[in-house]
Amino acid sequence: MMNKLLLTTVLSLGLALPAFAATPQAGETLAENQDYTYWLLDAIKSMDPQINTDVEGSGVLRALFEGLYNEDQTGGLVPGVATSYELSDDKTVYTFHLRDNAKWSNGDPVTAGDFVYAWKRLADPATASEYAWYMELMQVKNASKIIAGEAPVDDLGVTAPDDYTLQVTIEAPLPYFPKMLTHASVFPVNQKAIEQFGDKWTEAGNLVGNGAYVLKEHILGEKVVMEPNPLYWDNEHTILQKVTALTINDENAALTRYLAGELDRVQIPAGQYPRLKAEYPDQAISVPQSCSYIYMFNLDEAKGPEALKDVRVRKALSYGIDRDIIVNNILQGGQAPSYNWTHAATEGFKMPDIDYSHWTQEERTAKAKELLAEAGYGPDKPLELTLNYNTSEAHKKIAIAVQQFWKGIGVNLTLNNMEWKVHTDKMQNQDFEIARYAWCGDYNEASTYLDLFTSYSGHNNGKFFSEEYDKLMKDSKTAADPAPLYQEAEQILADEMPFAPIYQYTKVEMIKPDIKGAGLTNLMQNWYLKDMYRVAN
Amino acid sequence: MLSYIAKRLAIAVPTLLLLIIISFLLMHAAPGGPFTQERALPPQVLANLEAKYGLDQPLWRQMATYVWGIVSDFDFGPSFIYKDRTVNEIIAQGFPVTLTYGSLSFVLAVAVGVTLGVFAAIWHNSWLDYLAVGISIGAQVLPNFVMAPILVLVFTLWLRWLPGGGWEGGAWQYIVMPVIALSTSFMASIARITRSSMLEVLNSNHIRTARAKGLPERKVILRHALKPAMLPVISYLGPAFVTMITGSVVVDIYFSTGGIGKSFVDSALNRDYAVMMGVTILVGALTILFNLVVDILYAWIDPKIRY
Repeated sequence: MMNKLLLTTVLSLGLALPAFAATPQAGETLAENQDYTYWLLDAIKSMDPQINTDVEGSGVLRALFEGLYNEDQTGGLVPGVATSYELSDDKTVYTFHLRDNAKWSNGDPVTAGDFVYAWKRLADPATASEYAWYMELMQVKNASKIIAGEAPVDDLGVTAPDDYTLQVTIEAPLPYFPKMLTHASVFPVNQKAIEQFGDKWTEAGNLVGNGAYVLKEHILGEKVVMEPNPLYWDNEHTILQKVTALTINDENAALTRYLAGELDRVQIPAGQYPRLKAEYPDQAISVPQSCSYIYMFNLDEAKGPEALKDVRVRKALSYGIDRDIIVNNILQGGQAPSYNWTHAATEGFKMPDIDYSHWTQEERTAKAKELLAEAGYGPDKPLELTLNYNTSEAHKKIAIAVQQFWKGIGVNLTLNNMEWKVHTDKMQNQDFEIARYAWCGDYNEASTYLDLFTSYSGHNNGKFFSEEYDKLMKDSKTAADPAPLYQEAEQILADEMPFAPIYQYTKVEMIKPDIKGAGLTNLMQNWYLKDMYRVAN
Repeated sequence: MLSYIAKRLAIAVPTLLLLIIISFLLMHAAPGGPFTQERALPPQVLANLEAKYGLDQPLWRQMATYVWGIVSDFDFGPSFIYKDRTVNEIIAQGFPVTLTYGSLSFVLAVAVGVTLGVFAAIWHNSWLDYLAVGISIGAQVLPNFVMAPILVLVFTLWLRWLPGGGWEGGAWQYIVMPVIALSTSFMASIARITRSSMLEVLNSNHIRTARAKGLPERKVILRHALKPAMLPVISYLGPAFVTMITGSVVVDIYFSTGGIGKSFVDSALNRDYAVMMGVTILVGALTILFNLVVDILYAWIDPKIRY
């Protein structure tokens, strides 16, 4: 009790101390009703931590399972199944100490062996997980070889010296390794349940988890119902008693049902934020979210258009976009105009001084015209380019606006709208000139963005190559403080302009004012049901 | 008659097979695959996935395996996207939903549509006729993607009578709006077809004879006019019934019923090959079946038709 009181006081001072559970602040009274209903845009594709790939699925998995660490309200790490860890002197061996009171929902203790089983399962080619690459991203020893079928699964660099000690060996030092542990794909799973039920182990009734909630019902495309797990080690602090996630595929329908009182949290469709903010100032919110929206240029030797190989052209195109009009008049949800790649609010990231971000739009437009003229384009030789974007109202509006902006600097842009899978397929095969692209951070650290433009990244669809850039990113992995290297890397991107940055995301939502603990100040927008509660009005 | 039915069923098999082959090829011809995503999968991970789902096999073998699975075990394969479920499970969960609201919509559409059409024909060119035609044209031009939001606005947001969506095992409150939204345009078509067919029948010789021998008008209509007037309506109803019980994308999306209607569009966009094939075969088989039912009904209603 004393402990909790102290925690509450400290939290109310705004300091980030480990918040182990839902902790109402001083002066808050809990509501009688502790039911919570939230919105899912799409059905949950899988409730298997190693198979899931979706944001929606991860939200449910964070309730049904618990990894080594959790995130607090601001995204900081707090103990989950692990209570502490040590790092070897060469920074490649992590030793995690697990709590001895964590239990599976079938009563079994949660042991280090469960993590070893889950991690091997993720890397195992037989599992064929789409997130197997996460093991590679974490640099777990031998992960790449195992995925390629060149080494047996048992060679994975993860062992359990005893039931409550987990040892992970990574191939090279990785400063942000602990941050990657909150991802759902590295949650433990219960081998017994999986072997007993096979493919059916994720059904309600079969599913064995170690999270604060248990699965009561899952009707595909309709709803997911969860209730507190009485065996969860910290169940006494779980407050929400019944959580329902409703699948509503239309965001306007979801908003209507929110307004009718059927939901406690929904996303606001593009363009409706100002109206809702005026009408419901205590419910409409806009908070930063770790995603970045860009127009990628195809610099591929063979397939990229000749014009885009000239950096002056790329710069002119980027300068020519009036980002303020896009965020203020089209998106209208508090998004930030962007002149770089990494989301500005990323932890530890220091924004470099990017020259054109300080210019006025008139100055940018003038410079763009000048650069295009230098590159040999003008009224008698207009630049012709094509933009690919996937079907969506917002993408279309932005594309039309950019078409107009570029017309002003003498560029004729043809818009090419295509279905999502076709767009993606063309991008990944370099069958495009300019393509709409967005990237959301996997963890709250700049490398999740910056690694993408290395020559060895599998996501570098525009085929931008710079040896200097590669070197900076490689050095950043072992640097005591990678922040200056990240700044230099961003500077290279601004100088070479392999893409035109457009805006940085915000999460724009309606949330009932009596819902607390929803992790809105966490840039990754990861929330934990166990931290949430309803206060009395 | 029995041999006719047997013959028709025998033809159904190659028809379905052809449907499978064409859909299979068209689907695989579309760019991208089930595992194409914004974050390209590393080649090795993609290879493991394709091996697991048999997508690394030549197309003809994939098709043969697929057809054999259906024939030997009635197994339509796993969903490539909803990986916890098989296609059989997805259809077993979603089809009863659309079957429920689809059948109710069908009953409502037929009852109201036929009544409107018959009255409009009997009192041809009266205010009742104009009203019926007006209603049916109104219902026809109001597509369900407009109808659904209006219904939710009125009954959920303003009146607070009905929940805005969900299914809850088919409780009546959740069925009302999907049924109204789905049935209106069918109702309108049925009313128009009934009206024009009835008008034609009412001007035919056997009706004139019936009236001449002094039968009361009610008997003329019910006993002599209605049955032949129903023929064109019935040929419309066969395919309409299949369309209704396999659900509507708009209804499923807007009312979050969890029905199978949404799977058509979803599976195509997701390149969820197995689900796409499953729903295509379901609709194909039902269409063949109900076309046969229509033909049998024809023979029963019209003595001139004999097989």
